[in-house]
Amino acid sequence: MMSDLSSLAGLVSEPSGEIDSSASNRSLRLAEKEKRKGEADPFGLAVKYLSQVEAGTVVRGNDELERNMLVVETVALSKGLPPELITVLLDLALSLNAGTVNCTRVLKFLVPATVVPQEAVVKGVSWLCAGKMPMNAQVLFVRWVLTVFDLIDCKDNLRSIYGFIFSFVTEENLCPFICHLLYLLTMREHVHPYRVRKLLDIQAKMGRQPFLTQLLALYKVFRPDLVTLSLPSKVRTGFKNHSSTWKVALSAVQRKNKGAVLVDQSLSLDVKEKPSTRKRKLHHLAIPPLSSAFDSNSNKVFCLQELRSFKELLENIHSIELPAQMGSLLGSSLALHYLDCVQDESASLRLNFWLGHSLQEEFLLCPGDGSSDNTSEARRFLSTILFSQQFLQEGFSSTESFLYKFLSVWDGSLLRPQILDLLSDIPLMPSVYMHKLLFEPLKQLYFTSTVFFKCSVIECLNSMLVKWLTWHSVSALEGGLDISLNSNSTMTMTLSGFMDSVMELVRFVGLLASEGLRLENCHVLLLNQTLAFYETVCDMFLKYSLPLIIMPPAGVFYPALFATDSVSVDRLGYIMYRYRKNLTLAKKQEQQREEG
Amino acid sequence: MALLTPFSKVPELNTATVLLVENEEELQSKLANALVQYKKDFNVNVRLARKLPLPVENKETRPRIDLIVFVVNLLSERSLQSVESSLAHLHSDCFLGKVCFLVTDARCGSHTQERLVSVRKLAASHQSPVLCAEHRTVDGVNAAAVRLLNILKVSAGMSPIATTALYLSSLTRCSVTSDLEED
Repeated sequence: MMSDLSSLAGLVSEPSGEIDSSASNRSLRLAEKEKRKGEADPFGLAVKYLSQVEAGTVVRGNDELERNMLVVETVALSKGLPPELITVLLDLALSLNAGTVNCTRVLKFLVPATVVPQEAVVKGVSWLCAGKMPMNAQVLFVRWVLTVFDLIDCKDNLRSIYGFIFSFVTEENLCPFICHLLYLLTMREHVHPYRVRKLLDIQAKMGRQPFLTQLLALYKVFRPDLVTLSLPSKVRTGFKNHSSTWKVALSAVQRKNKGAVLVDQSLSLDVKEKPSTRKRKLHHLAIPPLSSAFDSNSNKVFCLQELRSFKELLENIHSIELPAQMGSLLGSSLALHYLDCVQDESASLRLNFWLGHSLQEEFLLCPGDGSSDNTSEARRFLSTILFSQQFLQEGFSSTESFLYKFLSVWDGSLLRPQILDLLSDIPLMPSVYMHKLLFEPLKQLYFTSTVFFKCSVIECLNSMLVKWLTWHSVSALEGGLDISLNSNSTMTMTLSGFMDSVMELVRFVGLLASEGLRLENCHVLLLNQTLAFYETVCDMFLKYSLPLIIMPPAGVFYPALFATDSVSVDRLGYIMYRYRKNLTLAKKQEQQREEG
Repeated sequence: MALLTPFSKVPELNTATVLLVENEEELQSKLANALVQYKKDFNVNVRLARKLPLPVENKETRPRIDLIVFVVNLLSERSLQSVESSLAHLHSDCFLGKVCFLVTDARCGSHTQERLVSVRKLAASHQSPVLCAEHRTVDGVNAAAVRLLNILKVSAGMSPIATTALYLSSLTRCSVTSDLEED
């Protein structure tokens, strides 16, 4: 309908020149047809009416206004609104031309169908500065901006009014949401000493609020010289939930418009495409080339989206701009290559923040009415994270924190393969934390579940042990006995600490295995998984150069020895043989060291 | 006060009885169906109740109860209170592995987290396990039923190698951990 109106406008502004009489007749006929069509179309009429509402319009008892609002509202909540309409309606709402009640009403149904033009948001911020809106409307507007943030076509103008947005940080009600918005917009050039001081003043007044800490952490990443206070290295999700009002409608509209090429909607986790097509979608992201905005030395800056092959990545590696939405990097091996190579702390901070937030939203903040039941999408999302983690050969810190929280509320069967695979990617942790974070929840799940779950857990812990040992052997080669746990973390661990952790893990698996075998009557699958674990353990010295020999407990040894199937006995024999080899080599090395 | 005791009656052959106590009566029936329909090699009787004490009239005809499951819905405050008051009607012998807590809606945000901590503290003080269940999906209910059957098998004394309910409870019991500040 909008196209009809615009074509009408086009007919009016026809370029002057020789107009054929027949052509002018035809254009008159067309104009009449369009007008008739517009008259029969209630939505178009409603839009036209609303765009002409003036200041001082009487609201109470204004049936015409109410009727038109209702028409637009129904369309908005079912199909979403086109960009031009968003501008018009936002203007109508925030200028308070239709009254304060209608302001919040319009904001609540302002669901975009495709993109949100950034001029609309900038104008909205200017209305915010005018200061006539009531506080709840202001808060609703900022929450709306946060919800549709990924749909805003370009953020350059928003970044240039960073200072204006920053000034709202002093408003107590707006502060959490403004901090979140600033977090999404901040670039290096926005971090100034007076802004840091302002945030610290507010922190002194309001206390150590998580949203302030989060923003300061980002400032610290960009300019560590300006932010000197100590901040937790692992950022938890510090921002309040903002999208609840629009979440349902937005996801419904997105699902309807599935066929259209959409901007990567990662707020509501609608990962519809498979990882292979996700890469293609990444390349269609409608972000305009950045050379116009950042072009000071006429260096062409590439978006990751524009690159097509590894060769191109290598050629242009110095002039690549990371996208605003870090989550879109997951699943694209090209982007992950770049991320791993460039080791940008702000990028990993943003990625971890987004990942942690999405995981929390999807799995730990389920609505109480049970409306979300998209397990297949969730499965695909987790598989994408798994792919990225395996590609980078290390886990994300936000996945780790999520898993600890999730394990304590897991029922053992929801998305089991994905969760256990993610669990095996957990990096090394000091033995102090292992019991509380990992072992206790696993124990409570393990002993009440089926034998197949028990097998899966043992397999997962085996995989975890192998990854830890491999990490150690690689780091030990690179230099020093102190290994860093994660390429992005600054925690290091001594060799004895590492050995403590490994011992704890092996002991725990020994407990799980011996009790499990007892409960399951020496089930052959469980026995085999256990023996596979001990195949890893017996070779720790020879394969991974870790001077540790841990024997299997009696509860594992004797069931294997007296097993009724020959495979288990054979494996046990092999394991004992490897133990002997490891021990004799260790003894020989000891003797050589004493002699030489 | 008539307490529910676990050992005052003789067990039936190849049968186990489980009592599901739930204030809201939402999950009970679904869980009961799943328990009965799951393929297993012993008979299961499922009895439902809203709270304890159980009515005195049925006392003679009621079989020996092998496992008492308290279903707590973390979204309602009444649920936990009702469970707390019901616990007083159990003989202390029941807490030797014959009681377990099943919570639903554990993944629903911060209020449920606080209530979950209270349930865990309650379970830890009574040496009983806490299970989380996804009660909205069929798979979730079936998974919860399977887990309950595993515990029931042991507490009814039907585990092949002599594993007592008490021993299992020592492995599965909930332990309250102080919140670690992850840094």
